[in-house]
Amino acid sequence: MNQTRRIAALTAVVLFGALLATACGGSNDDDGNGSENGDGTAPEYLGAVIAPPPSMPEAILLDENGEEFDLQEETDGYVTLLYVGYTHCPDICPTHLHEIDVALRQLDEDVASKVKVIMATADPERDTPEQLKQYLDSFNESFVGLTGPRELMDQFQVALGLQPATRTDIGNGNYTVNHAAYVMAFTPDDRLAHLVYPSGMGMREWLNDLPLLVEKGYDPE
Amino acid sequence: MKRFRARFGLMLALVAVLAIPLAVACGGDDDDDDGGDPTPTEMADGDAVTVGDLTITGGWVRTTTNDVSAAYMMVKNDGLEDTLVAAASPISPMVQLHEVITEGSSSKMQQKEGGFTVPAQGMVELKPGGYHIMLMNLTEPLEEGDEVEVTVTFEKAGEVTLTLPVQKAEGTSMDMDSGHGGMGSETPTMGGN
Ligand SMILES: [Cu+2]
Repeated sequence: MNQTRRIAALTAVVLFGALLATACGGSNDDDGNGSENGDGTAPEYLGAVIAPPPSMPEAILLDENGEEFDLQEETDGYVTLLYVGYTHCPDICPTHLHEIDVALRQLDEDVASKVKVIMATADPERDTPEQLKQYLDSFNESFVGLTGPRELMDQFQVALGLQPATRTDIGNGNYTVNHAAYVMAFTPDDRLAHLVYPSGMGMREWLNDLPLLVEKGYDPE
Repeated sequence: MKRFRARFGLMLALVAVLAIPLAVACGGDDDDDDGGDPTPTEMADGDAVTVGDLTITGGWVRTTTNDVSAAYMMVKNDGLEDTLVAAASPISPMVQLHEVITEGSSSKMQQKEGGFTVPAQGMVELKPGGYHIMLMNLTEPLEEGDEVEVTVTFEKAGEVTLTLPVQKAEGTSMDMDSGHGGMGSETPTMGGN
């Protein structure tokens, strides 16, 4: 199984182009209203179905406390909400993190305690562990921040079926960074993210989906 | 797997080196009082402010732990089409009008060319995931309970200064919209498009 996953992750890296083309087929138009959820294959869940589902990469990154974080090991047994964002992102990133935090506080403890929330940075040059910790603690002290050298973080994003981050200079030393358009929800049984949650999804979706994902993983009726 | 591990040593070194310039960059004090302009401040928290045919409501600024933040508001127009063309704030030497663009698996924010159009007899909403006023190079972090002055300039209606509350998220100064029963009878935000 481990072997399979390892191969899957590596394959994802190699097949970057193909993955992008297929996994992210749904072209979101304008704002909040994404389009991946159009086929109605999983009406019980409110998240958007992504196919093929990305698998949890095998990676060891640096967490917000500056310690090694083995992604496979640390997320074992949890529903993992993984988001690739960055701390100098005042719009979408904090919206996702805030909504997840509020939802977790409202959910039963036996659900909330089975959910691990991780933000991996798309901006490793600015996002040191210290920066990540300060930022994430302002939402929820249990949120994990991951960083690493640019090359590794780029590979990580590609393995997730995402475009690697690029900087856009906006003057006075400021730059913006492109990042994941959605939060991915990995299920513990198969370590795959069948469902993603783009901007515009939030509390309502988390309150509905997280108990389902914890109880039975991704198993649409 | 091996490759990830192999690069790990390099990563530690990199992070250590990067921490130094970062600490410096974030500590920089630009002078925060630019003197401000003599525009009247007309905002009482959350209350509507009018300028010409425009009515501005629901404004707020995001809390931050670093030197960037964003301001949001709703602009309603009872007259002809207008455009929000510029914004300024004494807490930020660098303010831009931003939009969020999503392409496939990737989102980014960028400057909105020409500003935000306020349609005739219509409205424009600055909200997360859409438009925002980007506040950069802040001289200090913003905490809940703080207030921030933001001056917005419209092509036709002119400029007006708002005093906006600092909040963690939209609507957090009131109770979150947690009161809803969440019985699943309502259509999800993402409906079936
Ligand atoms: Cu922005």
